[in-house]
Amino acid sequence: MKRFLTALLLTAAPLLAIAKEVVPFIDNDYAKALAQAKKKNVPIFVDAWAPW
Amino acid sequence: MRAFVFTDKALERYAGQFVWLAIDTENSANASFLTKYPISVWPTLMIIDSKKESVALRYAGGASVPQLTKLLGDGEKVVRGTKSKADEALARGDRLTSEKNLAEAAAAYDEAIKEAPKNWSRLGRAAESLTFVLYDSRDYERCAARALDLYPRVKGTYAAFNVASGGLGCASEKPDNRPTLDALEKAARETLDDPKIPLAGDDRSSLYETLIGAREALKDEEGAHRLREEWATFLEGEAKKAKTAEQRAVYDSHRLTVYLALKQPERAIPMLEQSERDFPDDYNPPARLGLAYRTMGKNDDALAAYDRALAKAYGPRKIGILRGKADTYAAKGDKESARRTIEEAIRYAESLPVGQRSETTIASLKKKLETL
Repeated sequence: MKRFLTALLLTAAPLLAIAKEVVPFIDNDYAKALAQAKKKNVPIFVDAWAPW
Repeated sequence: MRAFVFTDKALERYAGQFVWLAIDTENSANASFLTKYPISVWPTLMIIDSKKESVALRYAGGASVPQLTKLLGDGEKVVRGTKSKADEALARGDRLTSEKNLAEAAAAYDEAIKEAPKNWSRLGRAAESLTFVLYDSRDYERCAARALDLYPRVKGTYAAFNVASGGLGCASEKPDNRPTLDALEKAARETLDDPKIPLAGDDRSSLYETLIGAREALKDEEGAHRLREEWATFLEGEAKKAKTAEQRAVYDSHRLTVYLALKQPERAIPMLEQSERDFPDDYNPPARLGLAYRTMGKNDDALAAYDRALAKAYGPRKIGILRGKADTYAAKGDKESARRTIEEAIRYAESLPVGQRSETTIASLKKKLETL
């Protein structure tokens, strides 16, 4: 639980992803994701993350 | 999750069932998203009903592949329409959490748990979510009490991690209630030591940190030190096991935390230098090097590292790096440069858009400026 308070140090993820993701993420564009989801009639999965 | 989960082929079959959106909360392009869907835990996973533009499912924290596939299935069910009272209350709790209505969210999660059918597969998530919102609302006594009540029902499952760890975090804020703290500490240790629970390495690391926090709350420095040593050994083992540079670097921040707590910042230097070489566009390794060098008293090395980090940094995190640089100037006795750096941090903090701008941060920077 403390991790949520010391967030500047913890929850690390290197900024550049080297391993390939197997699902097609849209980066930082909610409007685009929403338009696609409405068109396909599917929900949006969101991974809200931080680079620190 | 980017290093360990979203790369797993087991997720391929879900690719077309959702639109997948990654939101970097530091990126100003996401300010309006963050105003609509505030985030206080990283990562936070959500499933948004695209027709209603509302949260169908919200989960605070990371997930393993089996957990994620369960979340995806649960989220789809909510979007299609829930049937049971417990499912309806859980979905309401998730929506209220997203709206930052934590008191009503806690009541909804409580209702979901009360209405839970026998063998309800969402009990663990409801228990975790209740613990999180009570922690987030600083209702520490109720948080610890509810976690203690719920722990036996989730023991041996992944949810035990968040319930025991969250409950112990709350109990450590109120250490006078010793029986509750002792029981949750036992639960957290039991969870840490249970090899059958599919915890990720950074989950186990988080449990160590919470256990150390409990020992610190009880002013047991010897016990805390023993755990810090154990934590450092664990993290070094996990980093050694990593198959990629990215997986190894996941542990950098945890390792820096424990090395600083052990007053051995020099142990962090080789790994951070390696990460700076492996990830030349990432501001984290030089920012962390700045902190490690400053703690070692190597102020010029720290300033150089902070400058390398600032050349790449963006978003709210940049303020923390500027603050670290100002502290280094202050440690050198150069108050004028420290003031100038804090003034720069204030200007930058004030320039951030709604959703990223924090009045608390700005006030704290202004207060700091007065002390220089």
